[in-house]
Amino acid sequence: MSRLHIADTGLFVAMGQPSNSRYQAVRRFARQNDITFVLPERVYDELAVENPDVEAPPVTVAIDEEWTTVASPLDFSEPIVSRAMDGVQRYIANGDDRPADDVERADAALAALAAQHLSTGTATEVYIYTTDIAAGEGAETVLASEGYGDSVTFVDGFQFIEDLVTGDS
Amino acid sequence: MSRTSNHADGDIVRDLLSIADLLEDPQLAQLYAYLAREAEATVPDVMDELDLAQGTAYNYVNRLVDAGVVEVTNDEQPRRYAAHEIDLTVSTPAGDREYTITPALIDAVGRRETNADIDTYIDRHGVAGLATALTYAVARERGEVTHRLMADDLDISPLAAEMILQALRPVVYEHYDVDKAGTALDELDVGGGAADDT
Repeated sequence: MSRLHIADTGLFVAMGQPSNSRYQAVRRFARQNDITFVLPERVYDELAVENPDVEAPPVTVAIDEEWTTVASPLDFSEPIVSRAMDGVQRYIANGDDRPADDVERADAALAALAAQHLSTGTATEVYIYTTDIAAGEGAETVLASEGYGDSVTFVDGFQFIEDLVTGDS
Repeated sequence: MSRTSNHADGDIVRDLLSIADLLEDPQLAQLYAYLAREAEATVPDVMDELDLAQGTAYNYVNRLVDAGVVEVTNDEQPRRYAAHEIDLTVSTPAGDREYTITPALIDAVGRRETNADIDTYIDRHGVAGLATALTYAVARERGEVTHRLMADDLDISPLAAEMILQALRPVVYEHYDVDKAGTALDELDVGGGAADDT
């Protein structure tokens, strides 16, 4: 049984810099459980921007330390990948009463990556770590409608880190 | 219109000006937010909590009392002070939009003293921009929007949106009712068998 751990931008922002106990707690969790967090390409692009105003999240450090990796491009030839993408865009749009086309595709990329791995069998269980509740619940809802209700878990990024840090102290 | 209601109009304008002062001065905002949270406090409490010198603490507390947003609740020494609830709704002439200035916004402004992300955001987008961000922060914690929708709407980078949303999150939980979502760590069964995604 193989598990896939998909991380969103907010998890890395919430971890802070490598000197921070939150970053260290997530890294320890990954190593102890032999987990590699996978970032959809669009998420990596968000995190890796050069912005003089902000201290960039340490995504490249986590990749160099080999507990985080960037996913290969989504395979849209798998029909379920497009369906998951569209479904999550619709779900998020409904929550805020706006057209689905307005919804950023990076929000839906989390679910689309999960769908791809579940349908090809490279993962049997997927965990999605995000700080956007709408994206996490959207992924669970849409993938449940594809028959993967028991295989997808939305993990709130803030709660996850809080639990890890509390557990460590 | 009676003189009584004219007097009440004056009070509203005075409130508006007082609140504008609070939003301009993060240390006053921080002090107001502290008093609002504590229900009642003395000047020594304020000095301890906000790390202020005695003279500065008295000066700030008196300014808030003069502005009418804080009152003396017990005149015996040491005096105790309490914040008045602020809830001021401003609307556009057309009446199509309105915004309510709440203790949450004042709290958020006060945190600029101790939070670099809030400070940077106000530098770039002003207190008005922070008010907008706070609206998104509440909606995000309620699962209605994502950081990317906010970034698109406001034409800022998704990373900048995520950072200010995270900086404002404690304000949201302090002032609004929000349910927790997602699965907790102790319910996760994550051990072993990482998927191959190379």
